[in-house]
Amino acid sequence: MMRELNDIYDVVVVGAGPGGCMASYASAKNGAKTLLIEKSQEIGEPVRCAEAIPSIEEFGIEPKPEFVRNIIKGGILFSPSGKKVIVTQDKAQGYVVERKIFDKYLAIRAAKAGSKVVVKTTAIGLEKDGDYWNVIVEFLGEEYCIKTKIVIAADGVESNIAEYAGLKAKKKPLEVCSCAEYEMANVRLLDKNMMEFYFGNEISPGGYVWIFPKGDTANVGLGVRDRKKKAIDYLEDFIENGMAKDRLKEATPIEFKVGGAPVSGPIEKTYTDGVLVVGDAAGQISPLTGGGIYLAMDCGLIAGEVASKAIKMNDWSEKILKEYEDRWKEKHYEYLMNHLKYRKILEKMSDDELDALAEALGESLDGVDLKKFVKRIITKKPSLLKYFKDLL
Amino acid sequence: MVKINYKKCGYCGACVGVCEQLAINLIEHIIEIDTEKCNNCNMCVIVCPLNALEGE
Ligand SMILES: Cc1cc2nc3c(=O)[nH]c(=O)nc-3n(C[C@H](O)[C@H](O)[C@H](O)COP(=O)(O)OP(=O)(O)OC[C@H]3O[C@@H](n4cnc5c(N)ncnc54)[C@H](O)[C@@H]3O)c2cc1C
Ligand code: SF4
Ligand code: SF4
Repeated sequence: MMRELNDIYDVVVVGAGPGGCMASYASAKNGAKTLLIEKSQEIGEPVRCAEAIPSIEEFGIEPKPEFVRNIIKGGILFSPSGKKVIVTQDKAQGYVVERKIFDKYLAIRAAKAGSKVVVKTTAIGLEKDGDYWNVIVEFLGEEYCIKTKIVIAADGVESNIAEYAGLKAKKKPLEVCSCAEYEMANVRLLDKNMMEFYFGNEISPGGYVWIFPKGDTANVGLGVRDRKKKAIDYLEDFIENGMAKDRLKEATPIEFKVGGAPVSGPIEKTYTDGVLVVGDAAGQISPLTGGGIYLAMDCGLIAGEVASKAIKMNDWSEKILKEYEDRWKEKHYEYLMNHLKYRKILEKMSDDELDALAEALGESLDGVDLKKFVKRIITKKPSLLKYFKDLL
Repeated sequence: MVKINYKKCGYCGACVGVCEQLAINLIEHIIEIDTEKCNNCNMCVIVCPLNALEGE
């Protein structure tokens, strides 16, 4: 057996995605004895992502050529009839990365900070054992029991670990964006540094279509929330008949990716005695864009810091661990709840109204804050005001 | 019982994320449904991007 499985830890992190890797990095760096558990035999695989991230420099992580595939200057949004709106500000800028290399890089970074890592090891249960948790794992058909003071649940959309600890983390099916994507070569891009977004109730109800340039390739995918038709069928339709069909004529897939993005907003409670929940499992992902890498990383970092602090204080009860929720909410709660509000407005609008909205916004969203946004609606398309008046 | 079409499954875990009975596990590339726990609510069928699950 892997000798890492035969030990007792301060902190066990389940899931080596961006959230779990950052949590184990921070935990180990601050002196807690840490183990990171990943069920895949290769960290980063399978990829379930369009791979766009905003700046990572604030984490002290250099955007290295080994995982950065492209620099992004902004996005072009297409209304159902093809009206273009351009955004180049803030979070619209960043990188498209190779997730399988990026996630692995983050896991190595955690290991270098002192965390142990196990792979091909699945956490299948949690048992309370006095002040400790026993994490039951399976590795090559054998069960092991790992004792730890704190568990960080970073198991992504699956969200089983928090539930094992008695927290509510499962999502409603129509609050999960069901996604399918081809990474393709030979896509004729509008601009190799601009992401493309396509909206419409016909092409992707409850979500959108994206084309994210990735250097030699592009991620062409979509997310939907729909009972009738599957994401994969919407995707084939878009490639064949969608607005970008001429530019996708010669395109050919080199990788297939599927996944679910939980766009419900954050779960009710993200901590309990000896347990913290981070990333997709906690619903720390934009309900509007489905972007979750940055949030998982930042909340993971906070979770690792709070966990290691609790270990130093020799108290990992929920009273102490609550600091995690206070800190991530202070930083990200308003953003998440605003995005949830915007999503709920957009999903009520017909294709004609989305066209009217694009019309009212004009060519660029840069420098448009909420006040200016609503002002443009009032002056140009007052009929849409009913959707937005609650925002003021 | 929900039927799994393994040839269609993309092992993404979206179905696991909506199963409140904790009946589904994704072990690397293979999903398993615990028939004892499953209550046939069909939530997993709705969310699957690839139509790999079929309800009753
Ligand atoms: C199609 C698609 C496109 C997306 N595009 C973007 C994008 O362009 N930009 C962006 O920012 N976000 C994007 N997202 C969202 C983003 O992928 C997630 O928000 C992000 O990966 C969340 O990180 P995480 O660490 O919480 O979970 P994950 O990255 O999902 O990592 C969870 C890890 O836990 C492991 N695991 C699960 N259960 C267990 C267990 N029981 N035992 C051991 N290990 C376990 C999994 O194998 C996995 O490695 C997209 C999502 C989808 C579905
Ligand atoms: S039908 Fe419901 S209970 Fe059964 S596996 Fe699917 S989501 Fe779980
Ligand atoms: S949601 Fe569908 S494709 Fe994804 S793991 Fe479940 S059955 Fe497979």
